[in-house]
Amino acid sequence: MGTLLHLLAVFSQLSVLGFGGGKGIIPQMHTDAVTTYRWVSSEQFTQFYTIGKLVPGPTTIFAALIGYAAVPQHPLLGAAVATAAMFVPSSLIMIAFDSFEARFSASPWRAIISRGLAPAIVGLVWSSVWTIARGAPSSVVAYLTSAAVIVLVLRTKINAPMLIVLSGVVGVAALR
Amino acid sequence: MPAEARPSLGSIALTFATIASTSFGGGQKASIRQQVLARGWINSDDFLAGLEIAQVLPGPNLLNLAIYCGQKARGVPGAVAALAGVSIPPFAIVLVAGALYFKFASNPFVHGALRGCAAGALGLTLGNALELTWDERKSWLSVALVAATAVAVSLLHMPLLPVLAVFGGGGILGEWLRTHKRSEA
Repeated sequence: MGTLLHLLAVFSQLSVLGFGGGKGIIPQMHTDAVTTYRWVSSEQFTQFYTIGKLVPGPTTIFAALIGYAAVPQHPLLGAAVATAAMFVPSSLIMIAFDSFEARFSASPWRAIISRGLAPAIVGLVWSSVWTIARGAPSSVVAYLTSAAVIVLVLRTKINAPMLIVLSGVVGVAALR
Repeated sequence: MPAEARPSLGSIALTFATIASTSFGGGQKASIRQQVLARGWINSDDFLAGLEIAQVLPGPNLLNLAIYCGQKARGVPGAVAALAGVSIPPFAIVLVAGALYFKFASNPFVHGALRGCAAGALGLTLGNALELTWDERKSWLSVALVAATAVAVSLLHMPLLPVLAVFGGGGILGEWLRTHKRSEA
């Protein structure tokens, strides 16, 4: 019961702070799930994030996996609570905004807020790189795999799940 | 042509469930746009406004956009149907992935694959960070804010709420001043 309440508190806070599509919440999620509550290890966190990038839908769906691991007696319940906490609060804000929409439709504030928040979100993405790196394998092959993916992200249109699958193939061959 | 001006809640949920479970790695916005416009649930001006709002407010863009379209079609029940439709299939898929993970993660081949995938996801995130930073290159204030935020979070372990208040708030203030100056000039 205590763990479920903690899942609810952690993920609903991340939900309402999930600006920029949720790109910026990864470092705080790691602090909560790995350092504070020890629901998962750094390596698991990185692997769950990876699964979130691999499956269809929003990346932050990997909250479900943290909930799954956090409540070993009732993994499905843990997953459901974490996912609901991750998605419902931000959704309620979106639904409630409908009543204010008319007031904001012609206002310059939308552009000011989204452009103004962008640098902080980008900084948080850099911190996410650091967070994810803590649980990623450290070997020459792993570094070369990451480097190759960076080049492919910047130079080609290959989509994210495909890049991850290709990296997985390298892993089966060389990172066992 | 409003072919289906008042859709059933089931058809809203099903439409977004199909989009959410079939579109890998982006492309969802285009398929949502195509589906909701073709069905006459929303007009294209509203859709563009919705896309912008979905990106400004917290939450995954895909979920927010689905909620917006569902709400335009059928009010709050439509929004709830869209949310259920867009989030339940990914939840089910990730649960299957999770069950397999906990069953097979210690198998050496699966372990190797996961490590490879993790290296790939790291490269992907770093690539995204580079692209996003490149988008901010025109303003020194923005680049400084990017760097200051990353240092505050990763080195000084500043929590997310004060980070958004200080660096997000600072960015919004800077943007507001810039817009203000431009409109006065």
